[in-house]
Amino acid sequence: MPGLPLAVSGLLLAFAGANVIDLPSLAVAPGTLTVLSGASGSGKSTLLYLLSGLLRPDAGTIAWAETDLAKLGESQRDRWRRKQAGFIFQNFHLIEEMSPLDNVLVRIWLDGLSAASKKERALDLLHQLDVPTERASVAKLSRGQQQRVAIARALIGNPSVIFADEPTASLDAVAGETVAAVLQRLAHEERRTVVVATHDPAIRALADQIIMLDHGKRETAS
Amino acid sequence: MNPFPIAWASLRRNSFTGILFLIIVALAVALGIAISAQERALRAGSARAADKFDLIVAAPGSHNDVLFSTVYLDPSAVELLDPAITRLLLDEPEADFVAPIGFGDAIEGDPVVGTVAPFVDHLSGGLAEGRLFEKRDEAVIGALSPHTMGEELEVSHGHGGATGTDADAAADAIEHGEAIPGGDGDHPHLTIVGRMQPTGTPWDRAIVVPIEYNWAAHGLGTGHLPDDTHIGAPFDSDTLPGVPAVVVKPKDVSAAYGLRAAYRTPQSTAFFPAEVLVGLYALLGDATAIMSALTLAAQALVVAAILAGVVAILDLQRQRFAVLRALGASPLFIFTTVWVYVAAIVITGALAGLVLGWGGAAIVSDLLAQSTGVAMRAEIGTRELSLVGALVGLGLVLAAVPALIIYRRPVVDALR
Repeated sequence: MPGLPLAVSGLLLAFAGANVIDLPSLAVAPGTLTVLSGASGSGKSTLLYLLSGLLRPDAGTIAWAETDLAKLGESQRDRWRRKQAGFIFQNFHLIEEMSPLDNVLVRIWLDGLSAASKKERALDLLHQLDVPTERASVAKLSRGQQQRVAIARALIGNPSVIFADEPTASLDAVAGETVAAVLQRLAHEERRTVVVATHDPAIRALADQIIMLDHGKRETAS
Repeated sequence: MNPFPIAWASLRRNSFTGILFLIIVALAVALGIAISAQERALRAGSARAADKFDLIVAAPGSHNDVLFSTVYLDPSAVELLDPAITRLLLDEPEADFVAPIGFGDAIEGDPVVGTVAPFVDHLSGGLAEGRLFEKRDEAVIGALSPHTMGEELEVSHGHGGATGTDADAAADAIEHGEAIPGGDGDHPHLTIVGRMQPTGTPWDRAIVVPIEYNWAAHGLGTGHLPDDTHIGAPFDSDTLPGVPAVVVKPKDVSAAYGLRAAYRTPQSTAFFPAEVLVGLYALLGDATAIMSALTLAAQALVVAAILAGVVAILDLQRQRFAVLRALGASPLFIFTTVWVYVAAIVITGALAGLVLGWGGAAIVSDLLAQSTGVAMRAEIGTRELSLVGALVGLGLVLAAVPALIIYRRPVVDALR
């Protein structure tokens, strides 16, 4: 599925009277890797949640192609995320009681009763990402393997947009580089739109665009 | 959407707590089921036990005492019926048979009951083995009696109160192997000649003897002239002793009501066992209704407490639900997952409780049957199923509460 373009304008999110995010404009092209970076508390994760529709801004537009998430209700944003987006987290957030395969299929169960038709694709993704599928529980996998299961889970719905929140922060350098390479491949080879909140130099080195944030405001662009 | 795998995984995550919740629900349900099923088994068993006792005539007094003494062989002191009334009954043309009942003795704790052969045949519906007694020193035993055919028994006197002024002297005579004062000198030993079919009553453990033996043992004569050795009707009007009760088998329904009315006199009372039981059941019914309501209330409290626990447990898993939301799960999906989680505990616990309660009631019924002799069978009926249904229904409705609480938790806060 080709990536979606993003056009943000006048984005404002306030909390307790203070602006948490204040971003006049932002544009992301399809098939690119964009990094949201900055110090802890700079607002990069909050911006990621806004761009993914988990948070609704107080003002502004978040237009993914023709769809302005800022104008959608909660259930519509959920549906958009289900159809268009995949999410990768710092701590993977896998379901430990499930196998790697079932963890990937979780994403399918959100939509349908049976995941049988997607089972082959899920196995294929896990093989591509070099994850052993015979394990009964993901808890028995290494951290790098667990993150790759989380990537497979993000990809099972064939999303146009991938959101990743500090995807390498809890991995060692080798595993982190593998994940960074996967994200780059998703953007540059598979032409998905990839937005990553991170300060990992390995990912930043591969990025097409870096948005530096400081207290919710854009600092520098390159 | 398919919330079942997530709900199942959540149950497995806190499996010990889940099992604990399930056991608590099961025990609460089992308690209610056991009480309900046991109460019904008690009613059915006691009613069944009184089936063959069509009409009971006794001295004026407590119907309950007479019923318990006659049908359930519960030892209690009851007044003796005036022999004049017994004479009238024995000549009653509207009765198929009239059976004087006498008791007061025991052998190794099992009651010795005196009556006439036709009643034994009626009560048993034909013997399981042997024959009816034909002599005064012969006995027929109940189906569950530990004694055997041909065994000789020695009667001990005084189980449940004397029935005549010379009873103690007769007992002394029996104990000393002497002739019974006022009796005909028969030996107190009994020979078992027959065994009854199971009746589901305390009579299943009784040693049933000719009423003449019972009277003689208590020094009351035999109801026959001194040289007359036959047993049963006809009796000698002049020597007929008093008896605690007489069971009458009326020819038909109208005869039954006619006899009941005819023998409700200043000297006697007549009643159908069913009418006494209905009165007792009415009292029991009120208590049952209150107990059922209390049981349901207790179960509802158990479910409410468990739901509070579920909220606490699932709150620990709030990050999991937040991740699902980030992946695109709708609030409805989260709501349904939590609801399925609670429903699984409530439904499984209730079904386990149903089986557990049924088993518990069966064990208690068995123990009660052994101690009372009244056959009881605990069964799951509409009332028990309704009780479980009400609890499950309540649980499924209340399951919405934690579901509502969990799905409304802020997503982003849990993700950080």
